[in-house]
Amino acid sequence: MEPIASHENWRNCFSEVAPGLLLFARQWVQSAADAEDIVQDAFIKFWRRNHDIHNRGLLYAAVRSLSLDFIRRDARRARREATAMAEAEHAVEPHFELQDDTQSALAAAVESLPRDQREVLVLKIWNDLTFSEIAGALGISQNTAASRYRYALNNLKKTFQPQ
Amino acid sequence: MNDFRELENELRKLRPARPSPALFERIGEALKESRAATAADSSLERQGFGKARHNWWSLGFGLAAAAVLILFAVVTIERRQEHRQTTAQNSPASETQRAPAGKGSSMSRSRFVPAGGTNVVFNARDEGLHFAGGSERPVRQVRYNTQQTWRWRNPETGASLRVSYPSEEIVLIPVSGQ
Repeated sequence: MEPIASHENWRNCFSEVAPGLLLFARQWVQSAADAEDIVQDAFIKFWRRNHDIHNRGLLYAAVRSLSLDFIRRDARRARREATAMAEAEHAVEPHFELQDDTQSALAAAVESLPRDQREVLVLKIWNDLTFSEIAGALGISQNTAASRYRYALNNLKKTFQPQ
Repeated sequence: MNDFRELENELRKLRPARPSPALFERIGEALKESRAATAADSSLERQGFGKARHNWWSLGFGLAAAAVLILFAVVTIERRQEHRQTTAQNSPASETQRAPAGKGSSMSRSRFVPAGGTNVVFNARDEGLHFAGGSERPVRQVRYNTQQTWRWRNPETGASLRVSYPSEEIVLIPVSGQ
């Protein structure tokens, strides 16, 4: 018989972190389906090894590592996707559930950020990671993580004009 | 960071796209499979541990048996060498004296006497003149390829032993100028 407690456990846990994880994966992989595959692999590895879910940095590090592997493994496909994304102006699979034009403008501003700033912002805002956890997940120092976050907010403030 | 508080609040209002329901199903299936695989792995590991222990015993017995065999072989070789030394020391006497019957007859039975030899030259090649070893006089070098055969015979038993091997011989013939 299925152990219901553990079943509920992973579902609850995954429900909580999945949207942020997917958003993080999509910093490298444009396709939502590929991002889901990566998140699935990372989460299963994480869960099977009985990692403490509070040590979230490892989970994000796994997503990042699998995403980079995916890009390396399928470079041709990634180039094709990048071209398609450039042509489609990010309109095919939105990263956010947008409710109004202000949010659309803000999402566009976020997506126009440099990748190193954007990944810190994604981890901080939509995944609630501390700078220490971000540093662990990205393999950078805590100060670097904090300064990238500050640069990201600065850039957003310059480009994003609330309507 | 207070300058950015309003911006951070705006950002937090953005909700990331939700995963598809199929992703939950896939993860559920994968975790179920991985649990089954883990259970099978741990059972295999337990079996493997037992097997490994069994293998260690086999290896231990094997090594012990090999050590006994090596020890036995060493002792045998040493005894044979001692026996040969005794035979070598006794051989002059056995050549000059008639071997007594009984215990010593086995020694005379194993005695072989040279019965002849042949040296068949099957190729000879003149390799021209050379100044061998910095000598001022030239020498003609001739190379012979031969097959040498030596025979021994045991006069008491009539058994014969033949050893045959190829050999190469280089002959230097001094050349005298007229």
